[in-house]
Amino acid sequence: MGTDSQSALTAALDRLWTQFLPQMQARVELLQAIAQTVAMQKLSDEQKQTASAAAHKLAGVLGTFGLSSGTELARELELIYSRADCPGPELAEKLASSARELKAIIASRA
Amino acid sequence: MSHRVLVIDDEDDIREVAALSLETVAGWEVFVANSGTQGLARAIELQPEAILLDVMMPGMDGPTTFRELRKNPATSAIPVLLLTAKVQGSDQRRFADLGVQAILFKPFDPLTLADQISAVLGWS
Repeated sequence: MGTDSQSALTAALDRLWTQFLPQMQARVELLQAIAQTVAMQKLSDEQKQTASAAAHKLAGVLGTFGLSSGTELARELELIYSRADCPGPELAEKLASSARELKAIIASRA
Repeated sequence: MSHRVLVIDDEDDIREVAALSLETVAGWEVFVANSGTQGLARAIELQPEAILLDVMMPGMDGPTTFRELRKNPATSAIPVLLLTAKVQGSDQRRFADLGVQAILFKPFDPLTLADQISAVLGWS
């Protein structure tokens, strides 16, 4: 691959990052809100599925934009939310801190 | 050499990055679809040389779309590569049992996605 096409790809990826940033931020905010619900022991099955799907989507895309640590973190959250049992309040702080860290990782590229 | 590839993915960010990568890095002609249903229709209409198919989609998911592609004589011979963010071994075995050409993983590297596809399909 030539330098020109590599530069073109990098520039185009940056444009797509800007385009999809609000969507990624919204997914992280959703994970933060659901972590609060876990702390209050009010997590519904629907919220659990929503959180799992949001984490799954983030895991799939962040590494594509060079944020592999974000992918790893999102995968951890997806695994927790996709277990058969609902995460208990003992996991609330871990879920909240992981969501905060995801937000920071995304902000670091923005 | 230029190739014609159809990307089927409901996630617009992944779909756009994959298309951009294959067009910019490899110079391929890329078509997109945002659902299994739309993907089936586009595959019949466009007759791509290969299909990159997301696994988790609302409505018709990737495995169901793959089975429909195989049932239809107009699309049954088109190579299909599954694209998934599922990394657990049980998921991978389930997908491999479908009979797809290959399983590619998200996140992918936009710089090397075309090389991965080419390697699987024997495209030089």
